Amino acid sequence: MMYYPSAQDMHESIRRTISAMLVSDEEIIAIAKSDICHDVSYGNEYLLLTNKRLFVLSLEGKVLEETWLKDVNMATLKAHLGLCVLVLDTRLGVKNVLFFSPSKKRIFEKLVALINDLTLNAIPASEIKANLGKELRLREREGKRAILIRLLKFMKPFWPLVATAFTISIIARILGLLPPYLMAILIDKVLVPRSNFNLLIEIIAALLGINVISLILRTILNYVNLKLNLKLTYRFRLKLYEKLQFLSLRFYDRYSTGSIISRVSSDVERIKNFLTQGLQSMVMDLIAMASIGVILVTMSPWLTLLALLPIPVSLIGSTLYRRSASKYYHRLWKRWSDMISILSESLSAFILVRSLGREHRMITEFAHRLDRYNTANIEVFKYEQKFWPAIGLSFTLSSLLVWWFGGLQVLRDQLTLGALTAFTSYMWSFYGPINDLLSQVRSIPMVTTSSERIFEILDEDLEVTESPKAKEVQMKGAIEFKDVWFTYDGVHYALRGVSLRIKPGEHIGIVGPSGSGKSTLVKLLLRFYEPQRGRVLIDGVDIRDVKLEALKRQIAIVMQNPVLFDVSIAENIALGKKNATLEEIIAAAKAANAHEFIMKLPEAYDTKVGVRGRRLSGGERQRVAIAMALLKDPRILILDEPTSSLDAIAEREVSKAIENLTRGRTTIIIAHRLSTLRNVDRIIVLERGIIVEEGTHAELLRRNGLYKRLFDAQFEGFTRPIPMPIRRRKP
Amino acid sequence: MRGLKDWIAQLRILDPKRVKIVKADVDVVDVEICGRLYHNVKPRRPFPLTHPEYVIFFKEDDEEVGILRDYRKLDKESRAHLERVLNVIYFMPQVKRILSINTSGWTYKWLVETDKGIVNFETWSRCIRIIKGKKVIIYDIHGGVYCINDISKLDTRSLLWLSVLM
Ligand SMILES: Nc1ncnc2c1ncn2[C@@H]1O[C@H](COP(=O)(O)OP(=O)(O)O)[C@@H](O)[C@H]1O
Ligand SMILES: [Mg+2]
Repeated sequence: MMYYPSAQDMHESIRRTISAMLVSDEEIIAIAKSDICHDVSYGNEYLLLTNKRLFVLSLEGKVLEETWLKDVNMATLKAHLGLCVLVLDTRLGVKNVLFFSPSKKRIFEKLVALINDLTLNAIPASEIKANLGKELRLREREGKRAILIRLLKFMKPFWPLVATAFTISIIARILGLLPPYLMAILIDKVLVPRSNFNLLIEIIAALLGINVISLILRTILNYVNLKLNLKLTYRFRLKLYEKLQFLSLRFYDRYSTGSIISRVSSDVERIKNFLTQGLQSMVMDLIAMASIGVILVTMSPWLTLLALLPIPVSLIGSTLYRRSASKYYHRLWKRWSDMISILSESLSAFILVRSLGREHRMITEFAHRLDRYNTANIEVFKYEQKFWPAIGLSFTLSSLLVWWFGGLQVLRDQLTLGALTAFTSYMWSFYGPINDLLSQVRSIPMVTTSSERIFEILDEDLEVTESPKAKEVQMKGAIEFKDVWFTYDGVHYALRGVSLRIKPGEHIGIVGPSGSGKSTLVKLLLRFYEPQRGRVLIDGVDIRDVKLEALKRQIAIVMQNPVLFDVSIAENIALGKKNATLEEIIAAAKAANAHEFIMKLPEAYDTKVGVRGRRLSGGERQRVAIAMALLKDPRILILDEPTSSLDAIAEREVSKAIENLTRGRTTIIIAHRLSTLRNVDRIIVLERGIIVEEGTHAELLRRNGLYKRLFDAQFEGFTRPIPMPIRRRKP
Repeated sequence: MRGLKDWIAQLRILDPKRVKIVKADVDVVDVEICGRLYHNVKPRRPFPLTHPEYVIFFKEDDEEVGILRDYRKLDKESRAHLERVLNVIYFMPQVKRILSINTSGWTYKWLVETDKGIVNFETWSRCIRIIKGKKVIIYDIHGGVYCINDISKLDTRSLLWLSVLM
C-alpha cells in the first residue's frame, strides 16, 4: 500500500479503520493531510483517494465526506485569500470537499490532477500508481550522500586524469615536507658547530633541487587540473544543452530562462570547483594532517600536545562565529540589495519619477540607503574584531609556549636547535590544512544543492517522444480534434472537450476572449504538449503516430511576435527550406511583401537581424517570418494573432503577405482583429476552452451571441455616427 | 492558385549577353536591355556580402527592371562601368595588411592598409562578421565597412592582430 504524499505519521487505528472501509478490489491511491478543518479552524483532516471513491476523514477516523468517483465530472481548486478549497463537480452538484492553507496548495494540486486523471481523463488506476511509484523513487534517491555518489559516478570517464592529479599532488606534498627537515640538519650540523662546508653546499643544492622539481610538478598539476576542469564542464554543459533541446514546452513553463542559465553556468561551475580543487584538497589536507601529525609526534610528543591546544579553540570559535555572523552578513546583503532596488526602480520608472517631480525624494532615499549600507559594513567589521584577534592570539600563545618549553629543552640539551626550528615550522603547516578542510566541508551543502538542480533537469521526463511506430506522412491537410481536454497545471483546464473537423484547404478563423484557449489549441496540433484526453488527427492519423520531423516540416506557424535567429535575413528566410536558391529567397520575400523594405537596407538580404530580430520593426519581422513559412511550403498553416501587435499600416502590409501565404493550404488563423478574418470559410468561437459558436461571419452575426458581442465591442466607435459640428457656409 | 513557383517565374532574370551598360554616372547607370535603353538605373546588390556578383536593376521610380545573376559575365566595358558605380554604392575598402590594433577603454583602434590607402578607424569589440569562413567584414563605430576577401591570404602578423577580436 502506498501513501502519497507523506502520511507516514498516520495513526495505526485510522489505518485499520480505512482498510476496513474498502470494498473488494478497491485500493488506496493517495492520502493527504489538510491543515484547516471543515469548521474553518486550524486542525487536520485526511483526504483519502482510492480507485473508486474519495473520502474525507477526521483525525479520529470519522468519515466526513464520501463521493464515488464515477459521479465526479472533474475536480478543481478555488483559491481565496489565505484559504484554498478542493471542489468537486459531481453529478449531484458542486461539493466543497476540503479546506487547506496555501502552503499545502502544491500537494493538493497534485491530488486534483490525480482525481482528474482517474475521472475525466479515464487513465487506469494501475498506470497512475506506477507513475506515482516512479516519482516516489525519485524522491527517495535524493539523499545527500546519493547525490555525491552520483556526482562521482559522473566523473567516471575522467578517472585517469583524476588519478594523475592525485599522484602528482601527493608527490608534491611529500617534497614539501622535506625543507624543514633539511633546515634542521643545516642548523645542527653546519651552523651551530660552524663546520661541514660540503654539507652546506649539499643541503643548499638539495633545497634548490626540491624547489625546482616542485615548480615543475605544480605546472604539470595545473595543466592536468585545467584539462580535467574543461572536460568536466564540457560534459555537464553539453548534456544539459542536449536535454534542453528536447524537453517539452511544459518544462519551459516551469523554469525561467534565468534559472536555467544559472544552472548551466554557475551550478556547473560550483560542481566543477568541488570535484577538482575541492575534492583534491580535501584528500590532500587529510594526508598532510596525518603525515605532519606523525612527524610532530615523533619529534616531540609533549610539544605536539602544546601545539594542538589552539585547535579546539579555533574549531569552537569558528563554529560560533559562523552561527552568529550570518545575521550580520545577511543584513549587509539585504541593505546592498535595497540600494540596488531603488537604483533599478529609478531607471525603469524614470518617466514616472520625472513626471511626479520626485527626483529629490529619490536622491534623499538613495543617500539614506547608502548610509544604511555603510553602517552595516562597519558593524560587520566591529563584529569580526571580536573573534579573529582572539583566535589568532590563541595560536600565537601556543607557539610561544612551544618556544618556551622547547627553548628550555634546547638549553638543557634535550633537543637540538635545528629540531626546534623544524618543529615550529611543521606546526604552522599543520594549521593550514585544518582550516582548509573545514571550509571545504562547509561548501558541501551548496554543492549538493547545485547537483540537485542539475540532475533535476537531466532527470526530467521527455513528455513528447516519438513512438517507435511513428510514420512518415505526406499530408493533405485534414485536421480533426476529437474531444480534446488539456490542462497546463493539472487543475485548470485550458481546453474542455474540443471537437473540430477541418477539411483540406479550408480556412478557419478562431476567435474568443484572451485566455480562452486559442493558442493552446494550435500548440497541441504542433505537439508542443500532449492532451490529457482526446486525440488530434491529421488526415485521419493520430499525430502521435506521425514522425515529429514530418509534422514540423509540413506545418508552419507564424506567431504574434516571431523570433528570428541573429543571422542574416537571407539565412532566416532560408530556414524554411534546405538549399534554397537565391531566386527562391527573393521570390518568397516578394510574395511576403518584404522584398521592398529589404532592398532598402544597405546590406539588403545580408543584413543581420540582431538578437531576436530586434533590428527590424514588428511588421518587418512578421513579413520575414511569413517569407520563411512560404519557402517552407507547408500543407498546414497556423497564424496566431499575426497582426495584433502591428499598427494599421503594417497590418495592411502583413495582411497582403498572408493572403499570398494561405492560398491553397489548410489554414488556421487566430485573430484578435476580426477584420483579419474577412476571407475565412468558417469561424470558431472559443470561450473558456469550449467551442461555443461556429459558422460564417454572417451566420454568427445573426446568432447574436458571443461573436456578435466581440464584433460590436470592436466596431463600437464606427457603427455609431460621429456627431460633427455643423459649419455654416457663407453664401 | 499562385504558389512560390509563380513568384519565381515572375522574376525577370537577365541574360548577360543581352545587357549593355552604356554609361556610368556616380551612382546610376544607363543600361540597354534587349535593345531597350533605360536611363538612370540604380544597380543594387541583394546579397552584397555573400554574393556580390548578384545585381538587381531598379528604375528611378524603384520599379524593378531585372536581375543579373552574375554581372561579371557582362562584356568588359559594361562590367567596368557597372563596377565603377558599385564601388560607390558599396564602398568597402579591401584590407591588405593590419598594422596594429590597440585597445582604449571599450573600443579598439585599428591601423590598416587597404587598396584605397592607409586608414585608421575605431570599432567595438563585436565588429567582425565572417562570411562562409573565408571573407571577413569589419564594421567601425560610425558605419564604415572594411573587408578582407580571403582571410587565409592574410600575413601572419595581421592574422595575429585579427585573432584578438575573433
Ligand atoms: N504555458 C502556460 N502555463 C500555464 N498556463 C497557461 C500557459 N499558457 C496558457 N495558459 C493558460 O491557459 C489558458 C488558455 O491560454 P491561451 O491558449 O494562451 O489563450 P488565448 O490564446 O486564447 O489567449 C489561459 O487561462 C492561460 O492562463
Ligand atoms: Mg494566444
